[in-house]
Amino acid sequence: MAQTAMSETYDFLFKFLVIGNAGTGKSCLLHQFIEKKFKDDSNHTIGVEFGSKIINVGGKYVKLQIWDTAGQERFRSVTRSYYRGAAGALLVYDITSRETYNALTNWLTDARMLASQNIVLILCGNKKDLDADREVTFLEASRFAQENELMFLETSALTGENVEEAFMQCARKILNKIESGELDPERMGSGIQYGDAALRQLRSPRRTQAPSAQECGC
Amino acid sequence: MGSAEDAVKEKLLWNVKKEVKQIMEEAVTRKFVHEDSSHIIALCGAVEACLLHQLRRRAAGFLRSDKMAALFTKVGKTCPVAEDICHKVQELQQQAEGRKPSGGSQEALRKQGSTGGKAPALSPQALKHIWVRTALMEKVLDRVVQYLAENCSKYYEKEALLADPVFGPILACLLVGPCALEYTKLKTADHYWTDPSADELVQRHRIRGPPNRQDSPAKRPALGIRKRHSSGSASEDRLAACAREYVESLHQNSRTRLLYGKNNVLVQPKEDMEAVPGYLSLHQSAENLTLKWTPNQLMNGTLGDSELEKSVYWDYALVVPFSQIVCIHCHQQKSGGTLVLVSQDGIQRPPLHFPQGGHLLSFLSCLENGLLPRGQLEPPLWTQQGKGKVFPKLRKRSSIRSIDVEELGVGRATDYVFRIIYPGHRHEHNAGDMIEMQGFGPSLTAWHLEPLCSQGSSCLSCSSSSSPYATPSHCSCIPDRLPLRLLCESMKRQIVSRAFYGWLAYCRHLSTVRTHLSALVHHNIIPPDRPPGASGGLTKDVWSKYQKDEKNYKELELLRQVYYGGVEHEIRKDVWPFLLGHYKFGMSKKEMEQVDTAVAARYQQVLAEWKACEVVVRQREREAHPATLTKFSSGSSIDSHVQRLVHRDSTISNDVFISVDDLEPSGPQDLEDSKPKREQEPGAGTPGIAAAEQQSVEFDSPDSGLPSSRNYSVASGIQSSLDEAQSVGFEDDGAGEDGSEGPATAAHTFPGPHDPGQETLAPASELEAGQELAAVCAAAYTIELLDTVALNLHRIDKDVQRCDRNYWYFTTSNLERLRDIMCSYVWEHLDMGYVQGMCDLLAPLLVILDNDQLAYSCFSHLMKRMGQNFPSGGAMDSHFANMRSLIQILDSELFELMHQNGDYTHFYFCYRWFLLDFKRELLYEDVFAVWEVIWAARRISSEHFVLFIALALVEAYREIIRDNNMDFTDIIKFFNERAERHDAQEILRIARDLVHKVQMLIDNK
Repeated sequence: MAQTAMSETYDFLFKFLVIGNAGTGKSCLLHQFIEKKFKDDSNHTIGVEFGSKIINVGGKYVKLQIWDTAGQERFRSVTRSYYRGAAGALLVYDITSRETYNALTNWLTDARMLASQNIVLILCGNKKDLDADREVTFLEASRFAQENELMFLETSALTGENVEEAFMQCARKILNKIESGELDPERMGSGIQYGDAALRQLRSPRRTQAPSAQECGC
Repeated sequence: MGSAEDAVKEKLLWNVKKEVKQIMEEAVTRKFVHEDSSHIIALCGAVEACLLHQLRRRAAGFLRSDKMAALFTKVGKTCPVAEDICHKVQELQQQAEGRKPSGGSQEALRKQGSTGGKAPALSPQALKHIWVRTALMEKVLDRVVQYLAENCSKYYEKEALLADPVFGPILACLLVGPCALEYTKLKTADHYWTDPSADELVQRHRIRGPPNRQDSPAKRPALGIRKRHSSGSASEDRLAACAREYVESLHQNSRTRLLYGKNNVLVQPKEDMEAVPGYLSLHQSAENLTLKWTPNQLMNGTLGDSELEKSVYWDYALVVPFSQIVCIHCHQQKSGGTLVLVSQDGIQRPPLHFPQGGHLLSFLSCLENGLLPRGQLEPPLWTQQGKGKVFPKLRKRSSIRSIDVEELGVGRATDYVFRIIYPGHRHEHNAGDMIEMQGFGPSLTAWHLEPLCSQGSSCLSCSSSSSPYATPSHCSCIPDRLPLRLLCESMKRQIVSRAFYGWLAYCRHLSTVRTHLSALVHHNIIPPDRPPGASGGLTKDVWSKYQKDEKNYKELELLRQVYYGGVEHEIRKDVWPFLLGHYKFGMSKKEMEQVDTAVAARYQQVLAEWKACEVVVRQREREAHPATLTKFSSGSSIDSHVQRLVHRDSTISNDVFISVDDLEPSGPQDLEDSKPKREQEPGAGTPGIAAAEQQSVEFDSPDSGLPSSRNYSVASGIQSSLDEAQSVGFEDDGAGEDGSEGPATAAHTFPGPHDPGQETLAPASELEAGQELAAVCAAAYTIELLDTVALNLHRIDKDVQRCDRNYWYFTTSNLERLRDIMCSYVWEHLDMGYVQGMCDLLAPLLVILDNDQLAYSCFSHLMKRMGQNFPSGGAMDSHFANMRSLIQILDSELFELMHQNGDYTHFYFCYRWFLLDFKRELLYEDVFAVWEVIWAARRISSEHFVLFIALALVEAYREIIRDNNMDFTDIIKFFNERAERHDAQEILRIARDLVHKVQMLIDNK
């Protein structure tokens, strides 16, 4: 990918999706993650919006390229075209709306089918701060997550609780998968790219343990 | 050999220059440079490459794998600065070593998460360049390099860059800047840095704007699209700094000599603008002669000026390297003299108008001196005793030819064409130019090619051969040497064939244009200036004249004014319904009233219909709620169907209706009356739904488990009296809170000749049953319908709540109105249903019209076009395809960039633009302005004007897109961030120009 003029001090680039029904707070999660602020005037998303941020996961700089999608299923035909090559996804529902929870299977199928079988998914029960209006219990959702091999967190884009963690956990799992060889960044459509800066030491798992300091030859 | 070596060195140095520039830009735009910035790494890499160039192998230790370490250690022995660096680096390395044992990945993860460690780990890249990087951070890199350059013999081979008497010191000097910067470990607000924001990119572009343009003269500016960076939000002080820098460059300094300076030279930057006075200067550097013209507004440097104004003047400033100029036209008038520079590609620079008093002549004589020794003016200026330089005296014949048609009443000997020639360098110089040249331009004439000469000069407005000196003087030197002549012959042939192929390609290009694009624009061009005044827009005056005399005003003329100048805000409310087709131009007051009455009636009816349905939906929801709660606590598995608000496990099939006793008997005439009414209702969904819509229903709630006697009677919106309609929908007479009022309301509702309650389209059996039970107005909603309505209402509610809540207009009550209109529209289009984005399209209409019925009607009209863009439509794909063709034809450079960056040609970054007619890209005020132009454009220039706006947006930022080599994702991000910060008027202007351009291309057969 041509990004020569942009910042690129990162080892990996992961493509992420944020998916889920309309009004579950996807854009707010993204905004909270990137700006550390709650966006209280956000409009519904049309098409896709986009954010990126470089995070440090276990000493590796990972650039997350996050695609925030429109929630209404009428737009799925459009948003689906962005799924291709996503390495991770936040699957978002609203804990105060069972309807959004019920729709999760659809989103899950879409993500696994269109992005990649190996896509790393984290389930986010958003609007944790509205516990009084809760319609979906933590237990229920975590059971669902377990059955479908998803990571699970309840988040609040309003307070910021667990928002960064959600992205971090997802990125960390992908990194682990790369280290263990389960994911091959070189494979097409993995949603992972080496940054220009990447030294590719991750490819030989043994050597990853130590940062490359001694390779300086000093 | 020697030149190859030099080329390597130049390349190395160039890399450093590039990185220094990047880092300095970052410093300017961000005020500080983060230690982990990628630019630092890049700079270190570039410097390191220079330092390693031709390093002496024999020098002790240089055989070691880490040459930088060896070099610094060695230098450290004699240079105290370098010695310090050695210590620092050792410390850092020890720290890095110290971290390593605990470097198990889990461990490191935790560490990172807690942001704990004192010294943050250096990234692998930083470690790789630790020596140079440390020196840079300590701000001594320049001194170390200087030392190396001064003592090069000790460390470097003779051919080394650092041993070069020129390059070595230059490298050291280049690094002075970066060594003066503040580097910080401070984390920015978001803890880590991200990609540069759109604002920053725009600002960077602004900083390097003018020189950049001059850098790439060979690049074809996309069929002459004039580029202008849009106004951004640069902070005042940065701009001022940048301006100051520019103004300083106008002074004489060590690198450039000021040959000529004159203030109040007038330039007309744009066609429709007055000439602007400015400072003209001529600078000579080692290689180049450059002309600069700077508007006075910039020279004064007054900070009081608004930023926008400044940015406009920046665009007017001229920087013209004389290497690009092939000839100069001079016109002497009473009021002074005008000078036009014409470049190789035949483009004329804006005329420079000198005040009276021989300034033009003195400029020319300075220029002539400046061109020496390599170049000269052709014909040369004459020297007259006592007077100094004078204009040459031309033969009469030629001076007739050289008269410019535009010049009026001027003496013959007052117009001159000078060519700039480089006698010694001519051949290679021009040959080089030829290769860069695209197509064939006027510089062909400089070649004295008989067959082409006439063609070239006749087809181009600026005929450089019109000078009598051109032909004889030029060819006189050619016969001198035979080889040269042969060379010229072969070049001539090449040029002719090149020109031919260029022409062929051009013809093919045009044919593509015509086949692909001719459908996109109207072929007859309606100009802004015939009759004049369209650019002023549709004003209140014109409109009130129109209103007094509707019949005598031409619709097209009014639309033309809207297209070129927009509508005055005050009368938008009155004009928009015309633009959208609610009224027709030329309608009398009475006709308009009729339209209004009909629309109002229709709206009230629809409103009542869906409100009636809504009550049923709400009732079902209430009853479904306990079930949801049960489900909630049971933790059952997920329903894999698209969610329904109401459960579908109904025992009642769609067509089962149980009627209630009703209050009023119906007359048979009701049935008949309802027929015509049905027919004039367009788009009321599929027949089945339509039937149901018109009915009242009463049914068992499937989820409630309540006895079937608890029925609701529902009256559809069937009011004959409009004023009642708002308050009357239907009432829940069985289970609702207002049950007691039900009968009374219903009694109001049902009588009347217009009552369409008896639905003729309803299944016969049902109707019979209804009649048997005397359920006059009790119609039934199918479960499916209720589900659909519930789903749509739910979606609408979700979006209305968050629709433009920052805009002053949208108070709670106005949001309620927005919702009513939206629901009414969706009720009529349940097959399509509510789709996100519709609210965005309705909101500006409501803001302007501030009238529910009118907004409803106009929105319905608007959606006839816009509906196609929604997912069920299919217009989006053709938009993308058209965008692709347009960019390919109008900006091939950008097209190729997009192409090479992959997936790009899908143009998904335009998705939101087209879906919402740019509503999200612009501020409200600008949305109004852009929309009305889009509507007017349908009749004036193009039914696909949105394409040209989209293209204008791309063009407005094309340099940024190109220079940053943006790919698909970068572009989406960039435009998302630029939303609401575009200069709408400028975009519109570019868009209109683009339409015009395509019209001309098609026209020009």
